[in-house]
Amino acid sequence: MSLETKETGTTPKRRFNVLFGLTLFALLAVLWCILGFWTESFMTGNNISNLLRQGSMIAILAIGQTFVIITGGIDLSVGAIVGFTSVIVAWLLANGFPLWAAILITLAIGVCIGLFHGFGIVRLGLPPFIITLATLTSLRGIGLLITNGATISIDNDPFTEFSRNDFIGIPNLFWMVIAVGIPAYIFLHHSRWGRYLFSVGSNAEASRLSGVNVKGTIYLAYTLSAVCASFVGLLLASRIGIGNATQAEGWELQAIASSVIGGTSLFGAVGSIHGPLLGAFILATINNGANLLNVNSFWQRVITGVLIIVIVYFDQLRRRRR
Amino acid sequence: MTDHDISHRSGSGPGEVISAVAAHLPILELRGLEKQYLGTHALKPADLAFKAGEIHAIVGENGAGKSTLIKLLTGVIPRTSGDIFWRGEPVALSTPLEAIQHGINAVHQEVVLCPHLSVAANIFLGEERRRFGLLQHRHMVREAQKILDDLGFALPAHALLSDLTIGQQQLIATARAATRGARFLIFDEPTAYLTREEAAQLFALIRRLQQSGVTIVYISHRMEEVFELANRVSILRDGRLVGTRNINETNENELISLMINRSIEQIYHKDQYAFGKTILETRNLSGNGFEDISISVREGEIVGLYGLIGAGRSEFVTTIFGRHPKSSGAIFWDGKEVKIERERDAIKLGIALAPESRRDQGLCLSLPVSLNLNLPIYKQLSQNLLISHRDESSHADRQIADLRIKTASRNASAASLSGGNQQKIVIGKWLNHGAKLFIFDEPTVGVDVGTKAEIYRLFSTLLANGAGIILISSYLPEVYELADTLHVFRRGQLVASHPHKSVTHEDILTQALGSAAADPATRN
Repeated sequence: MSLETKETGTTPKRRFNVLFGLTLFALLAVLWCILGFWTESFMTGNNISNLLRQGSMIAILAIGQTFVIITGGIDLSVGAIVGFTSVIVAWLLANGFPLWAAILITLAIGVCIGLFHGFGIVRLGLPPFIITLATLTSLRGIGLLITNGATISIDNDPFTEFSRNDFIGIPNLFWMVIAVGIPAYIFLHHSRWGRYLFSVGSNAEASRLSGVNVKGTIYLAYTLSAVCASFVGLLLASRIGIGNATQAEGWELQAIASSVIGGTSLFGAVGSIHGPLLGAFILATINNGANLLNVNSFWQRVITGVLIIVIVYFDQLRRRRR
Repeated sequence: MTDHDISHRSGSGPGEVISAVAAHLPILELRGLEKQYLGTHALKPADLAFKAGEIHAIVGENGAGKSTLIKLLTGVIPRTSGDIFWRGEPVALSTPLEAIQHGINAVHQEVVLCPHLSVAANIFLGEERRRFGLLQHRHMVREAQKILDDLGFALPAHALLSDLTIGQQQLIATARAATRGARFLIFDEPTAYLTREEAAQLFALIRRLQQSGVTIVYISHRMEEVFELANRVSILRDGRLVGTRNINETNENELISLMINRSIEQIYHKDQYAFGKTILETRNLSGNGFEDISISVREGEIVGLYGLIGAGRSEFVTTIFGRHPKSSGAIFWDGKEVKIERERDAIKLGIALAPESRRDQGLCLSLPVSLNLNLPIYKQLSQNLLISHRDESSHADRQIADLRIKTASRNASAASLSGGNQQKIVIGKWLNHGAKLFIFDEPTVGVDVGTKAEIYRLFSTLLANGAGIILISSYLPEVYELADTLHVFRRGQLVASHPHKSVTHEDILTQALGSAAADPATRN
């Protein structure tokens, strides 16, 4: 049996696989070329910067989400955390906290939310879908309670300028993707905790009997996801200059979609960092391009849905052939 | 009545059955049947005729081509070349449905039924009795109950399948195939997870099916079953059909030497080592599923735990390993009382566990061989916070070479390996760890003779290095031959302990079965 997989060296299958390995990147490149030819406004510095800003926040959410999905779980709360933490940081700044303290406290709250998810799953035995669905709705509620439904505006210039500024021609927001992505890559592929995420997602009982701290691994995955989300909350607050708990509606689904387009398996134990990043920017490109082409925004949603099916279907096909 | 019932459901007339049995014509014939995967010859051209109404055993090591043959016959995979004749007519057998329509069915080692449905619903799954498009629940339960009663199974048809033991589920799966007009029934190691009693029931059913004209193909690693049941036996080795024998014209030694092409003077390889000091001792240890167990393991000693499935042996060792909490009693390690609250405590002390189920407890099947082999030792493989990839690869390669694990590469998924090689991973992951006490829970279930011998030799190596072993097995010859001290478990209690080979098989069986169930033991 084991020999079956060995000798695929010169067959068409192999070529098919190699092609497919590059497909996501190629798809992104093709989209950019088409849009570049088709519209005058796409390949302008302004638009590209804008696109990178749009994609960046989902990309960071998708990285956190991927850690959770690799363990076989799901985190539906990330969009709500973004909205909630934007309120927190705005409230802290409005009440005279220094910027560094506001940022640290906001991230710490992200840690607490993640630990709570871990607690619910490990201790209370709740399915990840349920516990994160519960925090999704309650965090939006708490955020609205804090502001009494209103929006808190932020008048801290260094903070609000950060998201609008560039560094050597590339938006700061995109630099943040790199700042999160590289440590995330090292963590997932070069640390033992990364290995444990995969092993828990593949078979939690076998991991446990091999001495893996399964509970700790689950706490870790959800905490990382929530911290990524609260970091995005900071970036969003900085970008729009306000704190509002109803922001980032539906971003959890975009993050999950990016992750899945990037090759993460919802059954666990399969995933990478570069995949979800490409997935997020493919989605951002489609939205951006559709806007430029004046496609009805209702149709955009439909197109996104169809594309998710097509891309994931081809990815499944590739896995089955392997 | 029963026989009529079964043959009636078979979809072919009773007369046909009788004539086929009488004539002993081949019901299924393979001519030059061959299967090649890319680069591998899984089944080399084979000629084989199955006589109608016989029980035909197929033996061979893992990877010898048995599963390939089953898959070809049940239409799961297409053949590369050759012909299959069903009652003299060439057939394509290109889909499982076509095989089932001809009456070719397989009962697999692991039950593939719906655990959340009732026994009756499972028996009729896909062929539900309906009236006006609605299910006739009561009718189906009644009919299912009749089938079960006819077959002599004391099982309620309305019970949930998941409430039955694995052995009982296996019987249901067999009953299901029998009621679906199976003319040709393939059993793939059906007794691997059965108790003795359940196995006896299954054998009775198989004989009954044979009498009603069903042709049986029986695949097993257990020689005594082959000799008990089969009329003829075919031997596969490395994808080649090396021979077919009438069962009364052959013996175990001949079959084994045909299977592995080398004479094994002894499968149960055992070296005796001087016992050192006591490594582990339990005193009156109780927990869920076992009570008041006191045993000890010394350096260089194999302690065997024998009993029926469900006798509490696995629960006992997983409690030692920290998987389940103890309710009372104490565990001593190196003479000192220790608290083992979780698996990591046990591993830190130097206990290694190769659990009962490879699939559920032993392996991350979807992940690479390398990750599985290194899972317990990633801490040692990490410097600062990062993994040393070179150490990771070299450790994996060393285990693959030492244990002769057959795999395409260390990056192949564990699922792509055969059962015996998977078991080597489960064991191999602890060999880098420096454990002092090794617990093997059914280490040779579903493992071929060659790999078995390798595993037993490995035991010797471990003992030579001063380790102790706890060996759990439901296969008596194994623990009987290997254990220096043999403990017999029954219903969660330790009922007897014997030094190496001091009593007979029969005595031990009687103790394991208890007085109430002594009859089947004395019958043999």
